[in-house]
Amino acid sequence: MLRYTWKRLLTGLLALFVLVCVTFFLVRLMPGSPFQRGAVSEQVVEAIEQEYGLDRPLTEQFAVYLGNLLRGDLGVSYEDPGTRVTDIIARTWPVTATLGILVLAAAILVGTALGILMAVSRRKAVREVISAGGMLAAGIPSFAAAILLLLVFSVRLKWFPASGLLSPAHYVLPVTALALYPTAVIARMTGNTLAAEMEKEYVLFARAKGLGTGRIIFTHALKNAWRPVLNYVGPASAYLLTGSFVVESIFTIPGMGREFVGSITNRDYTLIMGLTVFMGTVVILVNLITDLLGAYLDPASRRAYRRADR
Amino acid sequence: MSVLEVRNLNVQYHTEQAICQAVRGVSFSVEKGEIAGIVGESGSGKSTAMRAVMGLLKSNARVTADEIRVSGESPRPGRNIAMIFQDSLSCLNPSVRIGRQIAETVRVREGCTWREAKKRALELLDLVGIRQPRIRMRQYPFELSGGMRQRVVSAIALACRPDLIIADEPTTALDAAVQAQILLLLRRIVRETGTSLLLVSHDLGVIASMCGSVYVMHSGEIVESGCAEDIFYAPREEYTRKLLESAAGKVPDMRRSRSKGRNRTNAGEDGNRNESADGRARTGEEKILVSLENVTREYDSHEGVRDISLTLEEGETYALVGESGSGKTTLARILSGILKPDGGSVLYRGREAAERERTGKIQMVFQDPAASLNPCLTAGQTLEEALRAADKSGEGRETIKKKSSHEKRQIWREKASVMLEQVGLSEEDMGKYPGSFSGGQRQRIAIARALINGPELLICDEALSSLDAVTGSRILELLLRFQRERGISILFISHDLHTVRQVSSRVGVLYGGRLVESGRTKEVCSDPWHPYTRQLLEAVPEADPVRARKIRASHVQEQDRGEKKAGRGCPFAGQCGYAMDCCFEETPGNYSFGGRMVSCFLYSQEHSGRRGEGYTMTSQI
Repeated sequence: MLRYTWKRLLTGLLALFVLVCVTFFLVRLMPGSPFQRGAVSEQVVEAIEQEYGLDRPLTEQFAVYLGNLLRGDLGVSYEDPGTRVTDIIARTWPVTATLGILVLAAAILVGTALGILMAVSRRKAVREVISAGGMLAAGIPSFAAAILLLLVFSVRLKWFPASGLLSPAHYVLPVTALALYPTAVIARMTGNTLAAEMEKEYVLFARAKGLGTGRIIFTHALKNAWRPVLNYVGPASAYLLTGSFVVESIFTIPGMGREFVGSITNRDYTLIMGLTVFMGTVVILVNLITDLLGAYLDPASRRAYRRADR
Repeated sequence: MSVLEVRNLNVQYHTEQAICQAVRGVSFSVEKGEIAGIVGESGSGKSTAMRAVMGLLKSNARVTADEIRVSGESPRPGRNIAMIFQDSLSCLNPSVRIGRQIAETVRVREGCTWREAKKRALELLDLVGIRQPRIRMRQYPFELSGGMRQRVVSAIALACRPDLIIADEPTTALDAAVQAQILLLLRRIVRETGTSLLLVSHDLGVIASMCGSVYVMHSGEIVESGCAEDIFYAPREEYTRKLLESAAGKVPDMRRSRSKGRNRTNAGEDGNRNESADGRARTGEEKILVSLENVTREYDSHEGVRDISLTLEEGETYALVGESGSGKTTLARILSGILKPDGGSVLYRGREAAERERTGKIQMVFQDPAASLNPCLTAGQTLEEALRAADKSGEGRETIKKKSSHEKRQIWREKASVMLEQVGLSEEDMGKYPGSFSGGQRQRIAIARALINGPELLICDEALSSLDAVTGSRILELLLRFQRERGISILFISHDLHTVRQVSSRVGVLYGGRLVESGRTKEVCSDPWHPYTRQLLEAVPEADPVRARKIRASHVQEQDRGEKKAGRGCPFAGQCGYAMDCCFEETPGNYSFGGRMVSCFLYSQEHSGRRGEGYTMTSQI
């Protein structure tokens, strides 16, 4: 298992390197200069570019950037000189991560609960409502859901505040807006796989040995049913942990997604690069964790990893 | 008082198309401490009736009964009644340790703590004859052998402390040697715990060896019941007689005795492999269809084969027997060209043929037709696809080379429908999907698919194992008829020695990836040379209560799957009563005597003395 993890980490580093290359050159291909503003004269722009080393050949810039990156130095923001990119990440990432983890927890808990209900409820109405509701929730894009929620619960009913993240109540609406889609997907997936698991012979055998339905679901069927769901949850959590620009903008949350989009419009080369590298790392790590979790759920592949270690 | 009392049990299935009466007015009872049996073909409603008693049927089944009583109470699964299923791999949860699967049963039954439940689980594992229970507790089902898993399932049934255990085909998925061990275990459980056992099986031998009273079931009804002696020695009903006949093997004997001349060469008293192989090649060169020479294919985790040499002649039926995991399937796949051997060579008609070339002439029929037929293709499409594949790979191209694709399709359709009729289906079945056929009919389609391109060798990989006795013998007749008419060779892979004895002219016994013995079926079966062959033969129960009750099982412990494939030594050494030191140290060679080959040191010159010219080898065990 350990060797497998190392191998995955190494391939992850390789992927990261490719990511750095591609973004670095794509960013430089964008037309315009980071310092080109309406009232600034050519000379000033050139002077600043010289100051930042942007007049040198691209390959040289790239080499310098890589060297800095290896030392953990992501550089200084062009837009906001004096602020290090690492500081910006340190400021925005906790906000985004808190939101992402909350969304993830809500989606997994509610989604699984609904999925179980959908799979085992004897009432057809319950099953149909969950199934149809899931389809609806999965169909609404998160920005539409966000605006709708804002309109109903904040503007009309005035139950929850509309912007910022000052108190727990502030979290309710953005979390709901973001969690709607993953919850629906998880519920439908869990429902379908669990229903299939419940048909299997080991469930019948568990009944024959006198276990109740609850125990069968939680100690037996769910573990097997969740394996395919995990394949969705992994990438989804990577997406959530790197921030959603749209929802962060609507609720004016000072998160990373907003920072990222801002950096692109400003052509803030260092910030774009820094955020990309950071998000790439998060995505790679989250996927690795999902794979290891998947192996934990499936003892056969767990043993296979162990064998590969030897 | 009876432990189980069932009166007038009816089960109806409500499907979208129709209502299907699966069990009609069935009544039976089981006395305390008794082993009762229910026997019948698959689809006769045995399993449905048992699940109805347990209350395990799905919601589309309607169960009515005048009475279902277990010790005077209503049946409560896990309390007064427990069940053992056929397939131990699918009825144990693959991702939960077996210790937990046993302990949770104890906990639910006794309402005790995990610690106590674990302790009880250890005792139960010990009771069902599993060594090192502490290690086993921490393992997952797939890490145990089939026999050990069935022991675990028995332990779980015992954890319920039931008045009655229903065992539904408990040994069908196992080979003869392990089956005997499990049957002995069940019998010991009944004796030691005083629970009653209701044994459901399609195998008359199993029923004969275990049961005091027997019920014969046929299409949802009990046609005959009584004590085992009456049923087996003086059957009253026509149907029972038919069952007994098919079990006794009254299939017309159509063995081909082409290989008689082969014994002339007394090819060497010595076990020199190369010499004997040459000897064989000289005698019947024109008749040999396929020969394997020292074929090896190693796997990390599952069944591989090591150093196997055998020849198949034109028109003969060669049987391969051996327990599950002994490499039968791997060998079949190497022969058919699906797998490539790591070492050794496969010769087709004396020359090495490319895999693609070979596959057209060698066809396979698999064990489970439900899995080997594509559910999305109709019977006709399945056959046409086979024709198309052959057309692509170049066979039969001479005949319909110039035809347009439309004409081709027309020819294919006709060929397919003719083929279907030959296997006993009708033209209307062309448009039906595999789902709407019974198991036997599906296997007929699979056979039609294999035969439609006129292969020279047909490999039947446990082709009858998933079928009941009556259907199985019909399919067998079909196969033998084709063999007679077309003169094809058949490689018959089976763990059922009864059938092997009936159909094959020569037999090879596989154990742990090695061909431990081979020779003419009659000789091998009546006078086994290798200790493993003998153990295998003695373990098969006969459909005769008096004789079958003496279940002879070796008392050697089963091993882990991993333990068996030690690189050195004879694979059987660990369980062999004749094992010498050398058996653990080096691998025995293949020693040939006339038409027989045995891979055991008992037959080598080094270990059992020099032999002169013209010495006739006899069994050393």
